[in-house]
Amino acid sequence: MDPSMYLLDLVVFIGIFGIMSLSLNLEFGFTGLANFGKVVFFLIGAYSYALLSQAGFPFYLCLIIGALIAAVFGFLISLPALRLRTDYLAIVILTSGEIIRLIVKTEDWIAGGDWGTSVAPAIALPGASAHAGILVNIGLVYVCLFICFTISRLLTNSPYGRVMRAIREDEVAAEALGKDRAKYKAQILMLGSAMAGLAGGLYVQYLHYVLPGMFLPIVTFTVWIMVLLGGPANCWGALLGAALVEVFDRGANLAKDLLTLPTDASNLQYILFGVLILLVLLYRPQGLLKESAVKTRATERVRSLGGAVRNKED
Amino acid sequence: MAETLLRVENVCKHFGGIYAVDGVNMNIREGGIWGLVGPNGSGKSTLFNTILGLQHPNSGGIYFKGQRTNNMAPHQIYDLGVVNGFQIPRLFPSLTVLDNMLVAARGQQGDGFFNSLFLREKWQKQEELLTDEALDILELIELRKHIFSTAGELSGGQRKLLEIARALMAHPTLLLLDEPAAGINPVLGKKVFQKLQDLSCSGMTFFIVEHRLEILFEFASWIYVMDKGKTVAEGNPEDIVKEAAFYQAYLGKE
Ligand SMILES: Nc1ncnc2c1ncn2[C@@H]1O[C@H](COP(=O)(O)OP(=O)(O)OP(=O)(O)O)[C@@H](O)[C@H]1O
Ligand SMILES: [Mg+2]
Repeated sequence: MDPSMYLLDLVVFIGIFGIMSLSLNLEFGFTGLANFGKVVFFLIGAYSYALLSQAGFPFYLCLIIGALIAAVFGFLISLPALRLRTDYLAIVILTSGEIIRLIVKTEDWIAGGDWGTSVAPAIALPGASAHAGILVNIGLVYVCLFICFTISRLLTNSPYGRVMRAIREDEVAAEALGKDRAKYKAQILMLGSAMAGLAGGLYVQYLHYVLPGMFLPIVTFTVWIMVLLGGPANCWGALLGAALVEVFDRGANLAKDLLTLPTDASNLQYILFGVLILLVLLYRPQGLLKESAVKTRATERVRSLGGAVRNKED
Repeated sequence: MAETLLRVENVCKHFGGIYAVDGVNMNIREGGIWGLVGPNGSGKSTLFNTILGLQHPNSGGIYFKGQRTNNMAPHQIYDLGVVNGFQIPRLFPSLTVLDNMLVAARGQQGDGFFNSLFLREKWQKQEELLTDEALDILELIELRKHIFSTAGELSGGQRKLLEIARALMAHPTLLLLDEPAAGINPVLGKKVFQKLQDLSCSGMTFFIVEHRLEILFEFASWIYVMDKGKTVAEGNPEDIVKEAAFYQAYLGKE
């Protein structure tokens, strides 16, 4: 492949997975909701996009409705989330994701079963070059990424964001201080799922096809690595993590063609991912970027009054 | 006589075979500092938990301003005006002292999903007002210079103080405090009680569990004594020390 196409393709992937990473960061990084089923919502957005676009809806409606359907599933997941401990919740979400994937895989009538189905690109430019097509995709993906990033930043730098962190730290104390934790968890899971659904739609319209094999649990773990590497509870960290993991993934992919290894080289990137996550957890458990404090006028106010001796703000 | 604020009627809370709270009756009227004492494990914290909705009683009724609160969620009980400070502080360790304070503030305009996104100008103004209030309270308990420290960096006594300060940010009608003076130096402990008394003059009501009886008895206007899940005596501090049941609770029956 033409190297410049390879790079542009990488840029698209960073954008799409940046949205995934931002959404898990809202759920896990800020609110402490360990969502081990990110791929479910990615899948729902993807299949919604495929089916809606086949039914003749314009691409923006396919994206928006796909995100909304994913949000409804996010709400449904929030119901057990209120009753179950984090570890049990993880198992529930993980398995329900596999169930949904196996349904679309075995039920041929939904979207071609195991073979999948083709998906029309969001913005078709008849006769345009491949470069032009990919540049249009970059535009579309990064507009969506920008919207998700802005919402994340506004939400987390507000009293609402303070409550998210409080729920992460001690949900019982937050509840005793008047915060309806059920409501907050449901809202965050709905928003996070909508963002993942949006990413799913963008993904399949870019690749022009959808099939169950694209939604293996490894996708969830990849997004987790992005968040843990970049730094949980930091929106820039989520983007940094997405970029690093995608670059790393490509690098490992290229390397495996050049190396001759005694083992099956196609697993190289998974092995390296495992090593990477171990290194992060051992040497930089807080991630590359540290958690950003809640930024509202409260901190400026203290400064203007000359309140603090120590100043830990960055 | 002042109006009844909190009525506890025959409340029982069992944990398997342990009768932690076993038929407690109380009547707390508006204003003043009300004390609750009793030996370790007599059920004081458990009673508080049932009042706060953190645990639901097995039987009996809890009424706040005449409204039955037995099956309400803690955040609904907060909305009614009942707030607490935990015996073992439950702060948000990686949040700053300031953020710990601001989380608790009542009536925030920016803690709703859409408001936080779209009404920024409105709640930003409120943030400034709440910050001023937080600074005043932190000044009093000598934590102002730690305002940007995280709660996890505070010492044990400082955490206890922040736990109380945070509850005050919630403008409670009734504030339950579980051993507010524990682990705090006696001078500051007394100052805190003094402040609570000032606040009680302006209409706040306090219900306080405290093992440091000398401080509690100096400020409280009414004392309940619990033993083995039951209230065994009640009265004003001068009278309660003359009650045989008060001594029996601590020393056991002869
Ligand atoms: N969640 C629980 N499960 C089982 N037993 C409990 C639970 N909570 C409290 N208990 C028991 O109930 C009894 C009363 O406990 P509680 O914490 O109310 O005592 P307390 O009066 O607050 O004591 P202290 O002065 O030491 O704080 C104790 O015997 C305790 O072991
Ligand atoms: Mg106790």
